[in-house]
Amino acid sequence: MRRCFVVANVVFLCGIIVAKVSPLPAQDMALSQVLVDGEDWQLLGEGYKFTEGPAVDRQGHVYFTDIPNNVIYVIDTDGAIVLFAENTANTNGLMVGPDDRIYGCRNGDKQIVAYTTDGAMEVIVEGVTSNDLVVTSKGAIFFTDPSNGQVYYISPQREMRVVANEIHPNGVIMWPDEGTLVVTERDSLHLWTYRIESDGSLTNRERYYGPLQLRSDSKTPGSDGMTVDRDFRLYVTTRLGLQMFDPTGRLGGTIAKPHNGPMANACFGGKDFDYLYATCGDKVYRRKTKVTGVPYFLRAGEKKE
Amino acid sequence: MNSNRHTIHVAILGLAMLTLKANSAYAIDDYTLGPDSIVQEGVPQGTVTQGQWTSEKIFPGTVRDYWIYVPAQYNADKPACVMVFQDGGSYVNPEGQQRATVVMDNLIHKGEMPVTIGIFLSPGVVPATEPDQKPRNNRSFEYDTLSDQYAKFLLEEILPFVGESYNLTEDPDERAICGISSGGICSWTVAWEHPEAFRKVLSQIGSFTNIRGGHVYPALIRKTERKPIRVFLQEGSNDLDNLHGNWPLANQQMAAALNFAGYDYEFVMGDGAHSGKHGGAILPESLRWLWKDRVEEK
Repeated sequence: MRRCFVVANVVFLCGIIVAKVSPLPAQDMALSQVLVDGEDWQLLGEGYKFTEGPAVDRQGHVYFTDIPNNVIYVIDTDGAIVLFAENTANTNGLMVGPDDRIYGCRNGDKQIVAYTTDGAMEVIVEGVTSNDLVVTSKGAIFFTDPSNGQVYYISPQREMRVVANEIHPNGVIMWPDEGTLVVTERDSLHLWTYRIESDGSLTNRERYYGPLQLRSDSKTPGSDGMTVDRDFRLYVTTRLGLQMFDPTGRLGGTIAKPHNGPMANACFGGKDFDYLYATCGDKVYRRKTKVTGVPYFLRAGEKKE
Repeated sequence: MNSNRHTIHVAILGLAMLTLKANSAYAIDDYTLGPDSIVQEGVPQGTVTQGQWTSEKIFPGTVRDYWIYVPAQYNADKPACVMVFQDGGSYVNPEGQQRATVVMDNLIHKGEMPVTIGIFLSPGVVPATEPDQKPRNNRSFEYDTLSDQYAKFLLEEILPFVGESYNLTEDPDERAICGISSGGICSWTVAWEHPEAFRKVLSQIGSFTNIRGGHVYPALIRKTERKPIRVFLQEGSNDLDNLHGNWPLANQQMAAALNFAGYDYEFVMGDGAHSGKHGGAILPESLRWLWKDRVEEK
């Protein structure tokens, strides 16, 4: 049930005790550290049905999906949008992997797939429902399966297993160092947080981030997609806006939505990964920030195996 | 208590000459430790045992340091009072701002507080899997969250464990809990959630602000039937004003609410910043006030 390790160490009061813990709070992370005065959301594109899955590549281009219209677009670093793929079978969450392919939750065909930049598609796994995914710097995948209340892990060798259940998952993200996984539930006032073990198992789950803020007309936050920045801030889309948390799980503030409609997901993109891109129902926006994102594939070259 | 001059300080804020006069006599945050915080010759010293606790039930996977202080006067035939300190490493440090074990040695020796076992706890950490990854620092989650999770951790994990080795009281009026900053609101939350288990609270520069919703306590206190909690609040006029709130105002709101609701409370507003300097300097007075009912009875 519980364990303790008594470090057989009787310290008398005149002895030396090294106090390692400072009572002072962790560094405060206010919105002013993120938002640039005078910079607001810029509309990049509109006329879509429901946009989702923003995912940045090595050049800073941002892919996104229009789920009901079965298309994936890509935004170049100047903000221009071009068609990337058609007939996407309601593909939802996207993320670029260390192999520079664009991975996606192709939920209409119950597949997880990967596209090369020339548009060629490979099926990674079949027979699963999915919503959102992350791809690690080693090429492993975590994806959420809201229909069955599970989170799956696909190893780099393509072995798949359930690593979390008893959850109604929606969005999924990792800390920049890939040691901690965070999962949203639309109706919960917190975000679930897990430790990622070396074999992809998820342990020590906790309601670490919270409480989320509510819009005055709603009893639930409607938490959806997430992104993280270099300093381990975590951003989660909600009905109220983009709620930003510091790495100790405390709300730093809520960035206003660009419009009154839905805001489903966000990511950092642009040449220096310092623009926040947001998929907001029929529209897609971006805004300049003072911080930068850190796509996991950038770690692929750094890590020594 | 040295608080009179600070009260004056606040009241005359607009009157430059008087303020100047006050400033010439007292520097801001100039608190120093008194004799009760210093080892005194002839006073028996308790022992401190250190260990590490891994939670597998309430905060799964968290690891934390603990220290158990046992006063020299402890007698295993008689249940000892209990005091739990959050951020325990800083309170137990005999060279630090608080020096709680030295203070307890001195006060217990003089009969100014009962024979009390001190349990000093660090906040939990979920260690990282790989060396280049950040551990999950659980302090804010454990201390700032408005729930009974931390109280359960004490009642279901820590107190039973310490109780295996020592004869601890089960009388809630003989159980105190203390902390600084987020540890302060944590201590209040433990008693608020479980007054049948803890009824004495010492909060130093307590974070009754909106870190995780703790700013609502003054409102809750005013509209909730009074709970049998005795609470000592220490705060400083130069404490934090940040995205989470304004600490001096939040503590004044707490004191006003406790007063309105008829609590047995003491509020000391100094001119310190967000540190343990003032709280440490008045720790002996704080403990004397908190425990006075148990001393008079004994």
